[in-house]
Amino acid sequence: MTTIDNDSAGKTAMALLTLQGVDKIYRQGELEVRALQEIDLTVQEGEFAALVGPSGSGKTTLLNIIGGLDAPSHGSIQLNGTSITTLKEAELSDFRLFQLGFVFQAYNLVPVLSALENVELVMVLQGRDVRERRERAEHYLELVGLEKVMQRRPAALSGGQQQRVAVARALAAGPRLVLADEPTANLDSENATALLDIMHRLSHEEKTTFIFSTHDRRVMERAERIITLRDGKIVSDKHIGQESHEQMA
Amino acid sequence: MNRRHSHLPLGMLVMLSWRNIWRHRRRTLITLSSIAIGFALAVLMIGLNDGAHNSMIRNAIKLGEGHLTVQPRGYIEAPANHKYLTDGTTLQEKIGSLDVAGRIEPRISLQILASTASNSVGAGLEGLSPQGDQRADLLRPQLVDGTWIEPGDQRGILIGDGMAGKLKAKIGSKVVLMAGKQGGDSQAQLGRVRGIFDSRVDELDDYLILSDIQLARRFLEGEGADPALQPITRFALFLDDPDSLPEWKAELKAAVENDQVVVLDWREMMPQLVQFIMVDDAGNYIFLVLILIMVVFGILNTVLMSVLERTREFGLLRALGISRYHLLWLVFCESLLLSLLAVGIGWIVAGAVHLWFASHGIDMAALMGGSTEMMGTFMDPVIYTELSGERVFQLTLLIFAATLGSGIYPAIKASRVTPVEALRT
Repeated sequence: MTTIDNDSAGKTAMALLTLQGVDKIYRQGELEVRALQEIDLTVQEGEFAALVGPSGSGKTTLLNIIGGLDAPSHGSIQLNGTSITTLKEAELSDFRLFQLGFVFQAYNLVPVLSALENVELVMVLQGRDVRERRERAEHYLELVGLEKVMQRRPAALSGGQQQRVAVARALAAGPRLVLADEPTANLDSENATALLDIMHRLSHEEKTTFIFSTHDRRVMERAERIITLRDGKIVSDKHIGQESHEQMA
Repeated sequence: MNRRHSHLPLGMLVMLSWRNIWRHRRRTLITLSSIAIGFALAVLMIGLNDGAHNSMIRNAIKLGEGHLTVQPRGYIEAPANHKYLTDGTTLQEKIGSLDVAGRIEPRISLQILASTASNSVGAGLEGLSPQGDQRADLLRPQLVDGTWIEPGDQRGILIGDGMAGKLKAKIGSKVVLMAGKQGGDSQAQLGRVRGIFDSRVDELDDYLILSDIQLARRFLEGEGADPALQPITRFALFLDDPDSLPEWKAELKAAVENDQVVVLDWREMMPQLVQFIMVDDAGNYIFLVLILIMVVFGILNTVLMSVLERTREFGLLRALGISRYHLLWLVFCESLLLSLLAVGIGWIVAGAVHLWFASHGIDMAALMGGSTEMMGTFMDPVIYTELSGERVFQLTLLIFAATLGSGIYPAIKASRVTPVEALRT
């Protein structure tokens, strides 16, 4: 497997995300749990990176902190030139709306909205006009192969279809970074592979940066960078070349 | 940072809210039904209450001194036979010049002693026009014996069956009417019983004697009044439109009131009745409050359950970038739509109930033990619901405020959801 050292990788590309000395400590009564410890990480624009590690290693916590859903106990986070640790709650909410896309493990969609309306929702919140958001929503649903079911509500879609709607929603809003927390965890092998293929393809076509957490080996195989966490620390950070993917395959 | 803000257009807000309230169709329908039934009960109760009160007031006004009364200042505080309006002619001209939309009845009220060979009783002599006076019109159908007095009848009197019993008087009996004079002397007129009535109000049947105004006026002449000026005790005004009372009262006050003459409305003339209605209303408002509490908890239960069930969804929305403010409005809008539906359905049910009882009425005679007398007046035995525009507005506002108010807590609770915690649920 060919790997590229993080220090030498992407130096010419622009850093989209920089974490420096990020700690996250939870207090449970007298007990202190260090969920993240001294995380230093730089992610360049257009990367398709996987956060891997066993359960409880801190993957979801790290994604939540990068996404501004949770605050770090220490350290700084720069995303697209903005120090998100200094933003107030309302500013963070707007920052998420315009800069980030999210795909969660489950319950990604609003049940009372159709697939099309779910994709449009974030663009509605962004204040885009009706025609533009409708065109973009239809376009991205076509890209994820759901053009025939876009009027269906989530309850009438399979788990794989729902996750694809979530990917379409995340991308249609034009974010700089998409964060996906175990997006394939509830999917069967076929659907998981299809979803990863779609995410990977769109990441390249749309030049959108993806960071996703997983402990699914099939997902890791498609990642171009694998960041391994253990006990809240980054223990490995590898860029994987195209040839190594072919070898893995 | 050049900050951009989130938007939630009204159309999207309403659409989301509308779909959200129908997620649990059965629960929403049960909530709406309970509110509608509660509301219909409240409207029925208030309508019956207002119907009964208005019936009492209308009868009290007819039996009493009209919507407005022009009388000597100080009479109501200390009635006395020597307190009268010396120049009835001029005063009537003044009142007549206002073109009051209604009827003006001159009346003379005196406190007298009525005696027959058998007994003597204190009585109130009411001199009026036997034809056309509201009180005469109301009592004429209640005549149980004899005939009604004719205009200009110099001796004829009408008495209640209670007084007839006390005086042992029959049709044709002579009754001596004796009144004290200001100086301490007394004066008397002879009356002859032409008819006996049963007004259904014991207070009137035991106390009231009706005569033509000319017979009563002779007592004022005895006090020194000039008969040419047509002295009277008061003018009773019966308005065609009772709602116009404040305007006519103001006009009358400006036209005739001075240090001798005062203009009073029925509320000032019958303060006990007003107090009784207020106390009765207070009891009904307590019942109304209980219904409102039921409504509030109905809505609170529905919206709060819906909020608690959707914690994860709110977390998702917050993660996607919806603001706390928009989330608050989203849930509040759900309460608003529920409130509008509740008020709409409530009025359809309540309106139907009201219309039925407004045309068919409820016969309360059996419930009231045959007597509908109350506070010196009487209630018609069949009560018809009545709802004024003001009441409709009040009830709508109350139910709307109650339902809307019950949505505040769930809305605040939803807006306080933190995405990271909500997404863990």
